[in-house]
Amino acid sequence: MIETSPPPQPAPPPVFAVQKRRLRFLGLTLDDTIKAFFGGNALVAVVVLALITVFLFREGAGFFGQNRTNLEIYRQAGLEYVDFIRRQTDDHTALTRYLSDLRLRQVMILTERERRPLDEVNAALAPFDAFAEQFSATVDPLRALLSDLTEQVTAIKTKFIVTQDRKEERRQLLAEGKPAEADAVKIDTIDFATELKPILGALPLYKETSREFSRKLVALLDSVPSLPSPELHPRMEKLKQLARNYAAGFPAIERDMEAWEHTFPVPAWETFTAFLFGRQWLTASFWQDWYGILPLLIGSLLVSAVALALAVPLGVGAAIYVNQIASTREQRLIKPCIEFISAFPSVVLGFFGIAVLGQALRLLSQQPWLSWMPGFPYSERLNILTAGCLLALIAVPTIFTLAEDALNNVPRAFKEASFALGASRLQTITRIIVPASLSGIISAVLLGLGRVVGETMVVLLCAGNRIAIPDFTSGLAVITEPVHTMTGIIAQEMGEVVRGSIHYRALFVVGLVLFVLSLLINYAAQKIVRRYKLSIG
Amino acid sequence: MVNAAPATMETRPPAPPSAPALAAKVSPRFPAVAAAAASEGRNVIVDIDDVDFFYGATQALHDITLGIEAKKVTALIGPSGCGKSTLLRCLNRMNDLIDGTRLGGGTIKIHGVDIYQPDVDVIELRKRVGMVFQKSNPFPKSIYENITYGLRLQGLKDRRKLDEIVERSLRGAALWDEVKDRLQASGLGLSGGQQQRLCIARAIAVEPEIILMDEPCSALDPVATAKVEELIQQLRSRYTIVIVTHNMQQAARCSDRTAFFYLGKLIEYADTREIFTNPAHAQTEAYVSGRFG
Amino acid sequence: MNAATHVFRSTAGARRGERAIFWLFRAATWFVLLCGAAVFLNIFVKGSRTVFKAEAPFINTTFLTEAPESLYIFEWEGKKREMGDREFRAFKEQNPAAAHVATESYVYSAGGIWPCIVGTVLLVVGSMTIALCLGVSAAIYLNEYARDGAFIRFVRLAILNLAGVPSIVFGLFGFGMFVIFFGWNVSLLAGWFTLAFMVLPVVITASEESLKAVPKGFREGSLALGATKWQTIRKNVLPYALPGILTSSILGIARVAGETAPIMFTAAYVVRDKLPWDVDRLGDFFFQGVMALPYHIYVVSSKIPQNDYTERVQYGTAFVFLFIVALIATSSILLRNHLRNRYKW
Repeated sequence: MIETSPPPQPAPPPVFAVQKRRLRFLGLTLDDTIKAFFGGNALVAVVVLALITVFLFREGAGFFGQNRTNLEIYRQAGLEYVDFIRRQTDDHTALTRYLSDLRLRQVMILTERERRPLDEVNAALAPFDAFAEQFSATVDPLRALLSDLTEQVTAIKTKFIVTQDRKEERRQLLAEGKPAEADAVKIDTIDFATELKPILGALPLYKETSREFSRKLVALLDSVPSLPSPELHPRMEKLKQLARNYAAGFPAIERDMEAWEHTFPVPAWETFTAFLFGRQWLTASFWQDWYGILPLLIGSLLVSAVALALAVPLGVGAAIYVNQIASTREQRLIKPCIEFISAFPSVVLGFFGIAVLGQALRLLSQQPWLSWMPGFPYSERLNILTAGCLLALIAVPTIFTLAEDALNNVPRAFKEASFALGASRLQTITRIIVPASLSGIISAVLLGLGRVVGETMVVLLCAGNRIAIPDFTSGLAVITEPVHTMTGIIAQEMGEVVRGSIHYRALFVVGLVLFVLSLLINYAAQKIVRRYKLSIG
Repeated sequence: MVNAAPATMETRPPAPPSAPALAAKVSPRFPAVAAAAASEGRNVIVDIDDVDFFYGATQALHDITLGIEAKKVTALIGPSGCGKSTLLRCLNRMNDLIDGTRLGGGTIKIHGVDIYQPDVDVIELRKRVGMVFQKSNPFPKSIYENITYGLRLQGLKDRRKLDEIVERSLRGAALWDEVKDRLQASGLGLSGGQQQRLCIARAIAVEPEIILMDEPCSALDPVATAKVEELIQQLRSRYTIVIVTHNMQQAARCSDRTAFFYLGKLIEYADTREIFTNPAHAQTEAYVSGRFG
Repeated sequence: MNAATHVFRSTAGARRGERAIFWLFRAATWFVLLCGAAVFLNIFVKGSRTVFKAEAPFINTTFLTEAPESLYIFEWEGKKREMGDREFRAFKEQNPAAAHVATESYVYSAGGIWPCIVGTVLLVVGSMTIALCLGVSAAIYLNEYARDGAFIRFVRLAILNLAGVPSIVFGLFGFGMFVIFFGWNVSLLAGWFTLAFMVLPVVITASEESLKAVPKGFREGSLALGATKWQTIRKNVLPYALPGILTSSILGIARVAGETAPIMFTAAYVVRDKLPWDVDRLGDFFFQGVMALPYHIYVVSSKIPQNDYTERVQYGTAFVFLFIVALIATSSILLRNHLRNRYKW
């Protein structure tokens, strides 16, 4: 057969007109415009995230500069110099506290165990009390000197701040175009070297006082009365050792003070380290403001740790139970209930903590049969434990839902194959189901952590709000101490600060840290989930 | 590319150089087909020429060349994954909706218009090339609204005209007698076969020239299948139909021309009778006789 | 064959161990539910004492319809009297001798919480409107238009991360951007946008899920009939996705209503005498702060002492708030289950 020409055909009429001109606006058809509109909306998420970053930086950026100035004044006005002495006296106060703690223990032993009447106990402790009295009095001359110096340097600092304010006033007047008024603003010049002369001049006096103090202290240690209970003797020995070490440190302080110059520069990195590793968050203080995030960060982490320690076993356990063990009827009852718990507003839980849980936990801690628990009994109603318990209730639904999803995603065939090989249900769960969904569960826990770290109201209301690094020396008992958190501090102080002040900016930097932390947690969770997806298939 | 056996090739004389403009160009690789098309004065309206098609990096169609004739039923057969549905979906550019697909080479012309040219409006194209899907997909609206959906999109509002078209389309789809009393009932309430016929009615309501059917009976029971096949027989006088099917008997029963695909290549394209009684290629024979696939 | 010795005999010890462990899991589950129930019941029982009354109309209308007042407690003619601010002033006018009576007073402990309810409703309505507009549009783009690519992955990443940002950070952001940079001050508008952005990921995810649930066939069928993309979405996708979108977004409402941290410095006042509609110009409406239930709970539980008198308002507010949020959440959960059963195509 041959491919011959087709029979003569008329030229095809334009029967198939599929080229239609559509209305165009700026080169876009209506459909393109609609698509662009929706696309723009999808961009909002990106834009918001970018804006959050921008505004946190915008408001927080000035902090580090201002904090450097803050640290410079601290040095130039001599506050740092005086703080050498202050630390010395503070350490002494710590020793005195150790002594009174010792007395308290002794009294407890005598009254509760040996059932001796109180006046008899007091009489027995009379020599000890006399010693303690003398011990605490040794520091008095030094303290007097300290308070003199404090007054002087505070005056210098105030003077400096006034000049700064005047400068600012003049700058504003100039900006407003009022040179005459600007000239009228009198600005004193401050020569720190002259101002500091009397303070540095007090060094010989300090040395004398300090050496006298040291001599008295060490002499006193030779005549320490022994306590009635032998079991406390090691503690007494420890005190002696501590006090000797303390006194031995005095020459070092003297050397530091001699070497100190108000002109030492404050390097730029110090403002960062002072923030990230600063152990104090102290604001609106008469002496010196410190913006160290460490106590807040530690508070946040401790509360989260307690919350997760409770929520992970409960949440994951519940997920395993509901997904693998429970009957369909029980499933249908439990799932909405847990979802319902997730809808509890955090402020209501916080209120519950204040009104009921704090008190209930304290009462529980005072039960004798629970005294083996670390830190029990305790007296602070609002503390890490209270906040942690409530946060656990917030984290459980998150962990439960996500972990249940992960368990659900394990292919049925895995389970059936395991059963077919003669494994029991428990073996199947522990060896097949949980390992297969492990990364999903871990990411669930991470997202729960993110939820807990970012939670505000519960910690603000229930964590006790004491800005200090809690005492880790007693081990796990740390969870019965009150703390303050990053979220809590923002919520508490943001409403009261002056806009643009260093304190205001510091709060934004804390927000920035929180933001970065949440992104990191999220990133880790996503990373784990992605790997998990690959492994399943 | 799987070629016809060289021996057969040689027995056929080469195409004369005088072959005129190929409005009805058919594969030169299948001279028999081409010659038949030419000699019988076939009216080819869809001209697929040397088409390559890709899903991402995977090539789904290799050098497909075939012509589809007007007012005939053309069946595309072949084992799963051979590319027949892909080719079908190229004809109204439904593949555009799938990420990462592209026409790698070749042209598809309908009435001489290359439908992959940028100035072609896919919306207009789809109005002219209707489609019926494997799984019947009536919208969760009333039967009446299902039929008028396409017309309303074109802005037709005249109630009387709509009523008329609904009746005509449903009659055309052999569904009128079964549903005329419940036009306002949901299309989802119909049986599977009725749903599929509703979808056909919906497609013919917009008066397309070509109807593409992607395994329209694969989800239907034999009785419903028979009805749809009967319908296809009725429609062939007015529409050009391209049907993808897995069911060889169906292809044999209701198509005029059959194209056999294997692994993304067109193996053989000929009159249905020829394919089923005297296939030119061993693979075709093996497939239609049920030895593989 | 002796039943006790056949090879398929179950080993009692292993089975008992397994059951014990299963019971442990069960106990963990029910312990969680118990804790939730304890919180709920505590607030429900104590709060209902404030909100409900023994005599008709059984609901304490004063508490629900009046503004908070200070509570004065004093002894008068041998009897202990408790009076709200206004009542006490009227009483002093009637009995001039009472002017110098020794009183104990507690702020916010008398009157009601009407302005807070109004404020919360306004905040929720406004922010959800914004969030739904933005979120549904974004979801339509992601599910209907977008093709997988770097841009879309970036957008999805942003949504995921936005979902993890702590609410207090949203508060800071809203404060920095709307309150200060835009100069809106503490206002409804600032609160709306802050809350809307916070809840945006929830709305987008919920909307996308609902859009995904609409079968592909609806889209293909419509497109094959010559519909444009937008016609397809508007006529054949959105109508079927909308119920799902709305119900899932109700959970977003619960979140918006329940959050305190984002509105603390963007929209909420501790106390405000005027109700939101008492404005001179319509424009002022958007630039006024409001009282809100969650913030009020924070204020009454942390700024005033705890005793029998203040407990009433504390528990009453918590009750009303929890009731509203629980109502929203329950209806969302029930509606969703209902819809899941109804829309099966």
